[in-house]
This record gives sequence, structure tokens and C-alpha cells, in this order.
Amino acid sequence: MAEEVHLGLPGPWATDYREKADHYTTKIGGVPDWPTGDMGIKPETLQCSLCGTKLCLVAQVHAPVAKLNIEERIIYVLRVQKCHNVKQTEGDGDGLGQLDEPSTTVPEEQNDKTRSPDINDDDFDLDTLAEALEQAATLASNSKKKNKSKHTAPVKRPVLKEKAGDQSIPVLPCFYIYYDKELHGVKGTVGSSSSEFVLKKEIMDTANDEEEKWEGEKYEYDKAIGADRTFLKFKKRLDAYPHQCFRYSYGGKPLRAAMKLQDAGTCRLCGSPRQFELQLMSPLSYFLHEAGHGSSNYAPSSWTWLTVIIYTCSKSCCPSSCGGKAQSCCWGVVEEMILMQEDEAL
Amino acid sequence: MAERGGERRGERGGFGRGFGRGGRGDRGGRRGGRRGPRQEEEKWVPVTKLGRLVKENKFTKIEEIYLHSLPVKEHQIVETLLPGLKDEVMKITPVQKQTRAGQRTRFKAFVVVGDGDGHVGLGVKCAKEVATAIRGAIILAKLSVVPVRRGYWGNKIGQPHTVPCKVTGKCGSVTVRMVPAPRGSGIVAARVPKKVLQFAGIEDVFTSSRGSTKTLGNFVKATFDCLMKTYGFLTPEFWRETKFSKTPFQEFTDLLAKPTKGLMLEAPTETVEA
Repeated sequence: MAEEVHLGLPGPWATDYREKADHYTTKIGGVPDWPTGDMGIKPETLQCSLCGTKLCLVAQVHAPVAKLNIEERIIYVLRVQKCHNVKQTEGDGDGLGQLDEPSTTVPEEQNDKTRSPDINDDDFDLDTLAEALEQAATLASNSKKKNKSKHTAPVKRPVLKEKAGDQSIPVLPCFYIYYDKELHGVKGTVGSSSSEFVLKKEIMDTANDEEEKWEGEKYEYDKAIGADRTFLKFKKRLDAYPHQCFRYSYGGKPLRAAMKLQDAGTCRLCGSPRQFELQLMSPLSYFLHEAGHGSSNYAPSSWTWLTVIIYTCSKSCCPSSCGGKAQSCCWGVVEEMILMQEDEAL
Repeated sequence: MAERGGERRGERGGFGRGFGRGGRGDRGGRRGGRRGPRQEEEKWVPVTKLGRLVKENKFTKIEEIYLHSLPVKEHQIVETLLPGLKDEVMKITPVQKQTRAGQRTRFKAFVVVGDGDGHVGLGVKCAKEVATAIRGAIILAKLSVVPVRRGYWGNKIGQPHTVPCKVTGKCGSVTVRMVPAPRGSGIVAARVPKKVLQFAGIEDVFTSSRGSTKTLGNFVKATFDCLMKTYGFLTPEFWRETKFSKTPFQEFTDLLAKPTKGLMLEAPTETVEA
């Protein structure tokens, strides 16, 4: 059951948020580094399906899969910052655009005296919102076994050829990631060392001296007023590595912040079940929020999620067919599934 | 998995130094190489929105959180807002479970935290090692810190010193009843709940208990439950109409996500103690 979980820990900041890296880099924020100059990505993929605003990159993770022999694989997590299409009308219970209303629309939110308090949020469907507003693209290469060397040829330095329209892409503060394995469970002393044994004995002795005996105690699960057990366990793992930005575990189990988690479903292309691969954690939004103080317009100050769980196709299928030509490799773009777990205090 | 090599430090600095260029000052001048993952343990990275607000010092008192009934999910929130919180381990007791391979013993720790001035919390944690149980119980106790309302027995002279009215709390078969006492009576209670009442900052009270008080775990929890109820009791001071204020999530709208969470109409008010 002990799967290996790799943690993405924060590394150095980028000197310029728009600077280019290569597609092997794992980073948060910045501009996406596509492996080749023209990816053949349809512009609709990189725009919000509701309002057409360009998506900005939240995370880019180089994620090769050793089991399926795929070396060239990158996951991009994109997000729309402001959904212009959905208006904020008074008294209207339209819930779709609320997640991304940034601070610039403050006047509408402060005016609650005139709004009726019984706005129902019943039609606020979180997963359609998640799917509509966030998209993750997985790129998989076709060159599975032999032609790895051939494949790297076209991927020279795409950085020099950038589209002119690049400056219009919104950009989050950018920093790079280094990996570490999570050590969980056995930490510190295993079994009692002598000092701990003495401590235990002392405590037992003082207990026996008093006239009261605490009787009838049984095992009790953790309980807190504001948080349930799932969140307490989530927080415990987070406290072990308080700066973790994301957790990577191909095919593993996500660390839930709340019990309820929707089913990931099946891949749209090949029908195989989706499996967990990656989850973004709250320190990421905290770091971006801190960095964006006052500088960038796209600072994620309104992000409220506790964790964002990304499911990918278990077969890592590729949409484009290379028609049997093993030499030529092409990059395929697949949209995967994202589930967000929110902070329910709001 | 490639990583960006080298020490690329912009003027924003590495993670060890913290972020932000304005305002919150005291990041220290720790310059140095890239910090290893272990060294940032002393710095709190908030997980929830409320934690972020508290970290930015948008709250001065913990009462503002109680006013809006916001769930506190991070113990560092309480540590930040109540720096004078003291903790004490009341009891460590072994609990046993029968397994096929014999008995498995775990330790159950009871910890009470309080500042002696109206805030108290109780935490219970079972773990395989004593130290883990104590640490976990302290965290749970901080998460469960509640305000305690104090009042007067007779003349309203000086500071409140006793419970405002007769209250009773129950846990398991144990019920604990607290009755206001005149100044100078002290806490008239058994040894174990007396500790909880001392941490709460109650100076004088008469108590009476019923049920199997030998189960001291339940006894302590019943006392804590009783203290939680002091602010739940409606007295004439609360008859005045509530003046609703904005929730912190609305007030600090840069962190606001869902604007339809308007006024919290059911928020109980925390008025000044009589």
C-alpha cells in the first residue's frame, strides 16, 4: 500500500515571469513551454470555453511514465483568471462565474444590503465549473520504444520562436520546482528508546499515585470542532512538509481534504478509466499570492481551493495517429480531468 | 525529471527568506543558499483562507472569528491569535485492543490549553507513542479553543469572576452543573475539572456532578461542554437587535471567491461581557 509519493517543493524564483524554459522543466506559473514551436493546438483549447479569455499556466510538470515507456510527457494545468461572460446581477442566483471574480469587481460584492439573502446556490455545480474553467493538457509522444533519439531532434530550442501574440497571455508569478520523496509514517524513534521508556514509566507512576483512576478509556478517533478526520489527516501530511506545492503519484491515491470526491470517469478518447496522477496543494496558491502582492494583476488572491486533483488516462493514450511511421513522432494534446476540493468555510 | 539547476535568485529571493516586499516586515535578513526542505518547519504556510487572513494580521482578536462562526481548521491560527496560551497534560493512559497477536497498547493523552482569561480548549489523542499522543493532543486542544463567558454572582463590581448563570454539560453518563458563586469562594470542584476551570479563567464557582465520574475522561469532557454552553445561554443583555457586520471574507474582498455568501444571518453575536 505504501506508494511512493513525490513532492514538488519550491525552488528558486524566475527572474522574469515570462522567461522561457524547456519542456523538461517543472515549474509553477510563467508561460507554458511547448515542446515544439507549433503544436497544432487548436486555439479553443487554450481559451475559456465560456468567455474566450486566454488561459494562464498554473503548473507545468514533466511527467514521464516509466511503465509505459513514455519519456516525453508533460502535464500543463491552465486556468482562466476572469470569466467575463458571466455577469454578476443582483439577486440572481447564477453561480457559474463566481469563482474567478477578482478584486477589481469589488463594488458588486459590497452591495449586499440590497441583495436578498436567500440566493440559492443550488445550481452551483462545482464539477462543471471545474471542467469549464480549468483544463489540463497532457502531451504524449508517439515514439514509444525505439526512436527516442530521433524524437529529440525536432525539440531543439523552441524558445527562440515565440508567437507574437505571446504577450497577451496572462502570466502568474513563476518559480521552479525540485522534487523530494515523501517520508511518511515511521519518523523519529521506532519503538521506545531508553529515554522515552523512562518518561513513560514516570507518567505511569504519577498516575498510579493519585487516588483517581481514569477508567474505562477506549480508543478514540481524532475530533475537532472545526475540522473532520479527513481534513485532520490532510493537515498532518501537509505539516510534515509544509511547503509542498504538489504531490505526484502515478496511479496512486490522492490525499483528500474532504471525504466527498467525485468519480473521475473514463478517458474521452480511449474509454479506459482515469487514474490519479497529480494534485496541487494549497501552499502553491499561498506562494503565488504572496509573490503577486501588488505586482501582477493575475495574483490568485481569490483562490479558495484546498487541493486540485488531476486524473489522467491510465493508458496515456494519444489522440493523433502517426499512421505506422515509427520514425516521425508527433505530439498529441489530450484534455484530462480535474477535481477541486474547496474550503467549505466559505 | 529535470529540474532547473543552479541558484537563480531574483530580487525576490529564495524561499528561505520568505516573500513579499512590502508591509509585513519581519522576515528576517536570512540570506543564504537554497533552503533544504526541513528548515522551513518553523514557518507556517497557511492552508485555508482563514489561515491566510490570520497570517496577514487581518485579525486582532480571536473573537472576530467566533463572531462569524468560522471553523478553525489550523492550530496555528489559534497560536497566532492567542500567544499566551498555556498547555498541560492532564493524563496519559494506556488503552488496549485485543488482536490476534496479543494486546496492542496505545496511549491516550488528555491535554487542556488555556490562557486563564476566557479561552480554553481540550484535546484527546490516541497514538502508539506517548510523545506523539501528547503532541497530537496539544494540536487538537488548540483547534477546539472556545470562549468562556464569565459573569457576576451579585454586584457588578470589578471584573467578572464566575459563570453568568447555572449551566450544565453532559458527556456519556456524567453531567456537570456549574452554579455562580460569590467572590472568594474559589473553584469548588473535583481535582480534575478544577484544572479545566482554572485554565478557563473562572475564579469562583460551585459545581455538582452526577453519573459515573470515575470515568474521568467523560468528566473532563462534560466540564468542557459546560463551559462551551456559557455563551449559548440567552440572557437579557442579548435582547438588543443584532447589528450584522460583514464576514471577514467579504471585508477582505481580495480573498473573496463567492460573493453570494452574503451576510451570515444566523451568526451569534459576541457581546461584551457584562
